[in-house]
Amino acid sequence: MRWLLVAALLGPLSAQAQRVKADMDCRFTGADFVYDCVIRLRPPLEGIAIVVGADMPSMPLAHNVRPVKATPGKAPGEYHARLDLDMTGEWAVKLRLSGAVRDLIVLHFLFTETGVTPRRK
Amino acid sequence: MDEYTIGVLTNVGLLAFLALSAYVLLVAGELSFGQQAFFGVGAYAAGVGTAMLALPLPLAAALAMGLGAGAAALVGLPTLRLRGLYFAMATLAAAEMFRIGFELFRWQVEVGGERVGPDGTQGFRGIRWVFEHGVEPAQFLLMVWALLGAVLGVLVFVERSRLGVAVRAGGQDPELAAAVGLDVLRIKLGAIVAAGALAALGGALFAHHNTYIEPRNFDIMLGVHSLAYALIGGLGTVLGPLLGVALDIGLLEGGRFLKEYRMIVFGGLVAVLLMFRPRGVLDERAVHRLTRWR
Amino acid sequence: MEPLVDFLQNTLDGIALGASYALLALGFTLIFGVLRRANLSYGPAIMLGLYVATWAHLHFAHGLAVLFLIALASTVLAGAYVERLCFAPHRGGSAVAAMVASFALWMQLEEIATLALPRHLYEFPALYDGPALSLGPLAVRPEALVMLAAAITVAAALWAILHRTRFGTAVRALIDAPRAAALCGIHAGAVSIQVFALASAIGAIAGFLIVASHAQVTPMLGMWSTLKGMLAMMLGGLGSLPGAVIGGLALGLIEAHSQWYLGPQFRDFVAYLLLFALLALRPPWMSTRSAS
Repeated sequence: MRWLLVAALLGPLSAQAQRVKADMDCRFTGADFVYDCVIRLRPPLEGIAIVVGADMPSMPLAHNVRPVKATPGKAPGEYHARLDLDMTGEWAVKLRLSGAVRDLIVLHFLFTETGVTPRRK
Repeated sequence: MDEYTIGVLTNVGLLAFLALSAYVLLVAGELSFGQQAFFGVGAYAAGVGTAMLALPLPLAAALAMGLGAGAAALVGLPTLRLRGLYFAMATLAAAEMFRIGFELFRWQVEVGGERVGPDGTQGFRGIRWVFEHGVEPAQFLLMVWALLGAVLGVLVFVERSRLGVAVRAGGQDPELAAAVGLDVLRIKLGAIVAAGALAALGGALFAHHNTYIEPRNFDIMLGVHSLAYALIGGLGTVLGPLLGVALDIGLLEGGRFLKEYRMIVFGGLVAVLLMFRPRGVLDERAVHRLTRWR
Repeated sequence: MEPLVDFLQNTLDGIALGASYALLALGFTLIFGVLRRANLSYGPAIMLGLYVATWAHLHFAHGLAVLFLIALASTVLAGAYVERLCFAPHRGGSAVAAMVASFALWMQLEEIATLALPRHLYEFPALYDGPALSLGPLAVRPEALVMLAAAITVAAALWAILHRTRFGTAVRALIDAPRAAALCGIHAGAVSIQVFALASAIGAIAGFLIVASHAQVTPMLGMWSTLKGMLAMMLGGLGSLPGAVIGGLALGLIEAHSQWYLGPQFRDFVAYLLLFALLALRPPWMSTRSAS
């Protein structure tokens, strides 16, 4: 038990060489607050497991939305996920990557009935 | 354990720090609407520490605790003589000033070709120590719970000491406690500072769990939730706040069959529970009864 | 001239904003004055009332008067429910438990409202959609005048109720000397629920005018109403009705001026700073009675 903690604290100092970035585009499906999203990784890594979650900015730890696994799309680095949100408004979408790279990427979007716009670039 | 369960358990652990900080104050007889501010101070301080100053996480977390304690003292000293709703409102006002302070806080440095640091309302992204050091989610969970265990151990030790009795006495009846020679104000200040450090430690871990923080994370919703957790769980033992968090998050995550009616059911349950147990599930009497046989 | 016009315009805007805060604070103070308990569900009950009215508007109801009555009735019902579940059981007991229970019901009421209407914004019929009135170089929105008139009317009506009716005498007796009032046969439980109904009605008036002035409702209404009502009450010295009006107007003026002269982020900051300083220094007009 203790050695694990020490290992976690010191950590293998293998800082990953590349840092992955992600873009996401979402489309309102017409059903209440269900959105189809396309995630594109840069560089276009394949075979990454992506779990997509969403938080509202206040009360960040009690997540309302059960995270979903993204499925690989046709193009390399492309993944699809369907988000089922509780309400429209601003959400912080969290992409938890695992596999060849491990990372957590947080993106902000304003989800409305017509579409989805990023809160910032 | 799958990643989802690990995530939920990590969240429970992180919120428990905040609930424990509210608990320490409740036991000392005070009600704070502002513990989220020190959680925020810890989150920002530790984020600056690892992501901008390249400190190791343990050092950054220690720094965060120090700053959290300092910030709590800053709020506590001028409000030491306030009671009840006055103290609660003063802590709320202070916490909101901290949150607006985070909104005004802009300080970025170049790290590996990217600008990293707090950017006002745009938040602070790229707190990636955990990922850069290859800490697996399960290891991070272990870290959170090991620290929480250590904190609980210290609190149990204190509760059984003369100091713990003094804190409870000052909380239950400050006049009487003062009459038997306890320095009630000093005890209260100590509780405020300890609670600030505790919240800051939770915040430091939260920032690294989330990799991203923003001022709105630390608004009054978080503070009132932690207060509710502490009270629902019970004021009789340090395990109370943990139970409070577990009840809420457990129902939130486990009660998927209730889905949209979850908060309606939970809100009603809490109100009814408090009718019968105004000091929570694990109140002093329940704890006494449970520990009698030893 | 220009700075003076700015100053006067900000003052006018501040009074308009402050009138809505004063209304919210009157309801909050009434409950606090009688029970010495903070009702965190005060705002969410108002929000639920206005959400019911908005829902009715989307489905069948038309006309501001009808919507107002719907909002009023549902807010009063929600307020009575909060009283029964959070305050009646803790009468003479723990103030903290009552407050946390009212927070639990806050979550519940908000969830009911957002379940029925889950978007982050709904349109509400506007109180008035013409241009602002001009007073020389200054502009005044007619809604603001309505709000101010409502605040004054409600404060006066409340004063009359408290000083000219049997119910009012009972309420004042409970505020001034709860134990003596009980000895005189005043039934605290009955008065308490009536006070909640009255406070909720005032809250509904405030919420309705605010929502109709902005011609929209959002889920922020609940938290916003509780926070502003509580803040205005504290600034006004806690627990007195004239104080609530003064506190509300002061809060509006502080917000309008600090937003203009210091920037939008300082709008709330100055009010919180002032509240913190007032609490820490406790000037003589702040009531010193224990609120715990």
